[in-house]
Amino acid sequence: MYATIANGHVVLEGPPGLAKTLACRALAAAVGGTFKRVQFTPDLLPSDIVGTRIFDQRSSEFTTALGPIFANVLLADEINRAPAKVQSALLEGMQERQVTIGPQTFALPDPFLVTATMNPLDSDGTYALPLAQMDRFLVKIVVDYPNIEEELGILERFGGDPPPLPTGIASMEDLRRWRQEARAVFIEARLARYIVNLVAATRAPHAYIDRGASPRATLAIASMARARALCDERTFVVPDDVRASAPAVLRHRLAFNYRTLTENVNAETIVAELIGSVPVP
Amino acid sequence: MARLARRVIAVAAALAALAIVAGGARAQTLVYLHVRAFGLSVDKTSVSVGEPFHLILHGHVDEGIDALDNVVLPNLAGLEDLGDERRCTRTKSGTDCVETLTIDANAPGDREIGPATLSAIDAASGKPRNFESNIVTVHVTGQPKVPQETPEPNPLTDLLWWAARSIAFLLLVAIALWALIWGLRRLPHTAAPPASAPPPPPPPAAVPPDEWETRMRELVAALEREPTRARAVAVRAALRERVGARDEETLADLVARNAANGHGATLAALSAVERAAFCEEARVVDAVREALPFLNR
Repeated sequence: MYATIANGHVVLEGPPGLAKTLACRALAAAVGGTFKRVQFTPDLLPSDIVGTRIFDQRSSEFTTALGPIFANVLLADEINRAPAKVQSALLEGMQERQVTIGPQTFALPDPFLVTATMNPLDSDGTYALPLAQMDRFLVKIVVDYPNIEEELGILERFGGDPPPLPTGIASMEDLRRWRQEARAVFIEARLARYIVNLVAATRAPHAYIDRGASPRATLAIASMARARALCDERTFVVPDDVRASAPAVLRHRLAFNYRTLTENVNAETIVAELIGSVPVP
Repeated sequence: MARLARRVIAVAAALAALAIVAGGARAQTLVYLHVRAFGLSVDKTSVSVGEPFHLILHGHVDEGIDALDNVVLPNLAGLEDLGDERRCTRTKSGTDCVETLTIDANAPGDREIGPATLSAIDAASGKPRNFESNIVTVHVTGQPKVPQETPEPNPLTDLLWWAARSIAFLLLVAIALWALIWGLRRLPHTAAPPASAPPPPPPPAAVPPDEWETRMRELVAALEREPTRARAVAVRAALRERVGARDEETLADLVARNAANGHGATLAALSAVERAAFCEEARVVDAVREALPFLNR
């Protein structure tokens, strides 16, 4: 939700059966607007997402058939099952909120949110997302197995007929207003420096990191911290907002080297250590 | 005696292991350097066999350093190292390091010397890098050196010499032990101190409560007189110090780990003053006013 208010795209990573797709559907239903889902497969083509030009024999002209990307919420299910060229078809839309089909450029609906899911376990037949693509996602949320109590709750709620998706919680207009309010949330100078220091810490030479996060991560942490502050009914950011936002923003932007695999080092631990190494203002 | 020997051997082995570990650690530690120059030169490009000449390794870095570590000198096969002098001089623009090797050649011909390698983290790119020097060529003339003949070893003489040395060493050890025991017996008998564990590390320097409260009262009074962000930040720092906050801990961390057990009021005050420390400039005065009741408790 924070990422939605921060006008960013979300990637959810977790094993199958953890309701990643359901979460994306529920979010789309809660905020209204149009929702489209694309199941990413190895034989998917870029035109299957953005649309294509079709020759109309009657009028002897080309017409444009818009793809499923023209929706307020696009669910890219199992995004890493499509090759890089298809994943890259999303790049322009995610960053510039527009797509180009043939000679024409079309603006995407506002708000436009891409929610993608990834399964980290079945690596056969998957394509790692290019770092440029990963950088476009504002946050990566790691979905883990629920604890016993949570799972009992799931059994209780979903054991019978599936409950209807929540609708009418907020409107697209609400979402636009929240985004505007979030942009106005104040970040004090020392906190701004703290954000920059957090990102700079990822670029310092590290035994397990080949490349750190880009300035886009700095902007992303600030956006997420603002959204958190707004949801906490504050008009200013506090250190907790920044610290809480940093892991989800940084974890998919760091290029870990082979040692993390050979030495079985948990990337989450590395990110947490990096964040913990920066003094809070 | 046997126990003493075992202990001596154990200590020696431990020291050797430490030396190896320390040496290894030192070898692996690369420093950040802006390397501006790293080159080799010779004072003579043409020498005769056995004639000493100088191989000069010069490096200049922007940083102020005491020595240029992690330098691998060039292979000096066919040459003899007669001496080595290292010197680093701090300059306005950094540090100049010069290593001068005095060498001579054993055989005639053209000798290529180099490159030398400096391993460091290139401060410009942040990546580890091997800086390589240039290669110098020295033309050597004359006849090759004839190795000095060593006398034929005599097994009997060697055995006698070894036996004499062993006896002398054992005598020396016996004298030293006798002197040690004699010295210990002459010492007055004093009660040995009770064996005890090493003292625990000192507790973190805590500010005495009275001193802290006095300082806090002054800070709050100053904040009341002058409700600015800087004053609020100073009060916040004092409160964080009171609850033992570490540098990387946020307010949520302090609440979560109950660092402020028995400091409920302090935590409430910290929460209130955090608003004044980070809110918009126009709202600082109001935030301070809201925080003061918590601070005066």
